[in-house]
Amino acid sequence: MSVDRYKGFVFSATDLSEDVDLEVERRKQILFADAHLARWTHWEVLDIPWNAACAAARAAYLDHVKVFHPDRYAGKRLGSYRARLERVFRRITEARDVLADEGKRAAYARATAPPEEFMRTEARKLEDERRAEERRARLARQNPLLSRAARVNELMQRGKAALAEHRFAQAANDLQLAQGMDPQNRELAALAAEARKKSSLAKATEHFRKGLEAEALGNAAGALAAFREALEADPTHTRSAAQAAKAAAQLGEVAVARSFADAALKAGPRSGIAHEALGLVLELEGDRKEAKKALERALELDPTLEDAKERLKKLRWGFLG
Amino acid sequence: MSDLDPVIGIDLGTTNSVVATVRDGVPRVIPNRSGQLLTPSIVAVAKNGKKLVGPLAKRQAITNAENTVFAAKRLIGRRWGSKEVEDARTVLPYRLVAGPEGNDVRVDLAGRVVSISEISALVLAELKADAEAWFGRPVKRAVVTVPAYFNDGQRQATRDAGKIAGLEVLRIINEPTSAALAYGFGKQMEKKVVVFDLGGGTFDVSILDIGKSVYDVVAVGGDTYLGGEDFDRRIMDWLTFGFAKENAGIDLRQDKMALQRLKDSAEKAKCELSGAPSASIHLPFLVAGADGKGALHLDKQLAREQLEELTKDLVERCIAVAEKTLKDAGVRPSQVGEVLLVGGMTRMPRVQKAVKEFFGREPCRGVHPEEVVALGAAIQAHALVEPSAKGEDVLLLDVTPQNLGLLVVGGYFQTVIPKNTTVPTNQTHLFTTVQDAQTSVRIAVLQGASERAIDNELLGEFILDGIRPARRGEVSIEVSFEISADGIVGVSARDVDTGQQQSITVTATSGLTEEELRRILDEQLDDLLERKATAGEFEEKRDRAQAIVQEMEALVPAVQEALERTRFGKDAVHKADGVLARVRAAIDARDVAALEREHEALDRTLQLFRGLAAQARLPQGK
Repeated sequence: MSVDRYKGFVFSATDLSEDVDLEVERRKQILFADAHLARWTHWEVLDIPWNAACAAARAAYLDHVKVFHPDRYAGKRLGSYRARLERVFRRITEARDVLADEGKRAAYARATAPPEEFMRTEARKLEDERRAEERRARLARQNPLLSRAARVNELMQRGKAALAEHRFAQAANDLQLAQGMDPQNRELAALAAEARKKSSLAKATEHFRKGLEAEALGNAAGALAAFREALEADPTHTRSAAQAAKAAAQLGEVAVARSFADAALKAGPRSGIAHEALGLVLELEGDRKEAKKALERALELDPTLEDAKERLKKLRWGFLG
Repeated sequence: MSDLDPVIGIDLGTTNSVVATVRDGVPRVIPNRSGQLLTPSIVAVAKNGKKLVGPLAKRQAITNAENTVFAAKRLIGRRWGSKEVEDARTVLPYRLVAGPEGNDVRVDLAGRVVSISEISALVLAELKADAEAWFGRPVKRAVVTVPAYFNDGQRQATRDAGKIAGLEVLRIINEPTSAALAYGFGKQMEKKVVVFDLGGGTFDVSILDIGKSVYDVVAVGGDTYLGGEDFDRRIMDWLTFGFAKENAGIDLRQDKMALQRLKDSAEKAKCELSGAPSASIHLPFLVAGADGKGALHLDKQLAREQLEELTKDLVERCIAVAEKTLKDAGVRPSQVGEVLLVGGMTRMPRVQKAVKEFFGREPCRGVHPEEVVALGAAIQAHALVEPSAKGEDVLLLDVTPQNLGLLVVGGYFQTVIPKNTTVPTNQTHLFTTVQDAQTSVRIAVLQGASERAIDNELLGEFILDGIRPARRGEVSIEVSFEISADGIVGVSARDVDTGQQQSITVTATSGLTEEELRRILDEQLDDLLERKATAGEFEEKRDRAQAIVQEMEALVPAVQEALERTRFGKDAVHKADGVLARVRAAIDARDVAALEREHEALDRTLQLFRGLAAQARLPQGK
């Protein structure tokens, strides 16, 4: 701290000579701050320039706290300086509460702007207002909004009706269109998201069903394609991923099967069939130990998996046959 | 000076307490006299009228449930009739009664009514004695921790407990802040840290902005009635209902001893499930069967998934509190630089998973969750006693956990100091009279989050009189609020015109009055004297025993020589060894009765040794 800082300030001799455990320089610092608390702005309290950023205010606060917090002098005789320190600490904390909060800081900066700064911001404000006014007028002239609003409303009603009747694909389509025209509408955004989700789930379920049919008919390739479609519609459809892995395994495509098994596990880490699929793939890859582990985990999660039970038994006793 | 006068940090927990200190610049936990780092926060009066604290009290809890007080922290500073106390009365095996003023909680312990502060004081005194045994000299000053969400009454009562225990409480600090302090000790860091502290009885979340060794608390939140004991209780309920179903409706809760055994095994099972997928609970001969059909046993398996299901809502409650606290602080989960897990309950995998999911980052578990709080308290105690000149010491800036304000017309609560204000702080507020010629005004000080005064905690009230009679609204009353670095509230009111002033330290409604405290302090002194008498007795016996042991050890070479040359059985040496070992153990355990018992055997052995040694010397002398 430079000596110039205290220029023109007269320290009281009694205060400087009070019998306390503080160095003279520290006393001066405290007395000087205490005397100016009411007069200083928050910026001056923290010793930072006007309009300094929040981070700077915070850093300055930490430095000041280290000088002015009463705990720094715990166990020392402080006399009248204790009350002064407490006052200064509260004042710097007050300054921090304003200047380290972006919203409050900006407002305070405006309120405490130096005159030339004040003129400049006022002028800018006027300019901004003029431009905003112009813009509003221009938009009013063109005004495509009115016709647009009606269209949005119509699409939304249609979408809602479709949603109620479980025609999810239709609903998703209408609501998506409407949302594109009015992206600010929260209700619409929520509805569209719901419709999209339901639509993809419905699609996935449909493909999954087809896949199961194909599988029942012995058409492994067809089943794989259907499961793949189901997954595309809903990447979190664990059952499809697991079935796809099985189908791919049947076709001898181990790498493909592996990627589906991984996808199934990712979508449903606690799903028995996902672990079962992984077990199947691992067995194909020749890793009997890991395969056994995966199947055991699968059965732990879902004890009804008869296939897994069979397979596990075979794996366990495989060395016999 | 500081070398002669050690300071300690105490984590006064719901289930366990820990004492720590800083020695040679390193914070470390002080083991209790049984050699453990955790001391159970349990106080009991044994069947023979002896007062037991800590491990000894815990050991006899099952057979003496009615006179064993645990979880006193849940009651400290609480008001009689509050929901928390009513809940506690239904589940605690010991007897709660109202204080003399009818507004605080006392315990009926073997016929003597004791305040909760006294119970906690006994635990603190035990830890103090442990520390004194470890240092080998008296300990007078300590920093004690409390949950961040504790209100003024609870802090005040904790401070009183320290006083009763004969400790000068340097500072009451918040547990999460303390944990952060221990975490950051000796590291340079600039980041936002969230402390997630789920202990035995309370839950706290604190958000700190750490930089330049300043620990600046930005926001705190919590629930003073959510912790490990609630998890235990879920298991107990599950066991009792299951048992009632299987055994024709026998209600285990009617049997205090069975209840205590259930509690123990529930806690044990919970801990086991943090490391294993399932735990078995086996309690043979739990209760007598109906119509004298012999004893009934309890034998159950509890899977981790099942426990998670039983306690799902408790974990959800924790996360909801964390979410709200972050919002109060204006911090997004992604801005958090570290999440610290504190408290034994955070060992539960489901809790860790929930924290990880919410913050999107792996929480920090590098520290011992049960010990960090005490370590932080020790660091703060150290900094408050020996601030280093270079300024590299840590500095804590804590906040007030709840809004502080007044009751105003219409039953509303007017906040004067909002929560999350950095302490120490003060604030003044101007009020006016509401009636013509009003000469006195009642000022009720409250703490809480509700707009309606009645939903908040009443800290105290006082009356400012001697107001100049005037038309309503013409007289201004200035009320000043002050919150100390401990989080303790002081309020004063002043008539701006007349200068008439009143002030209170807000203690009246929860805990002990000033007089009572003084009386207890006197009594405690007597108590201390009494203890000193037995301590003196022990010292005397120990000195006597030690003198004998020393003499025997000096005789050993001669005795061995004699043995080599005589037919004296090696058996005798073994027996002598046994006696010595028992005496040493009795000295270590400060067990006066055992010393007394062994003394005779010791004397006999000494005579024997003397004889042998004399034999050994005789031929040489000739």
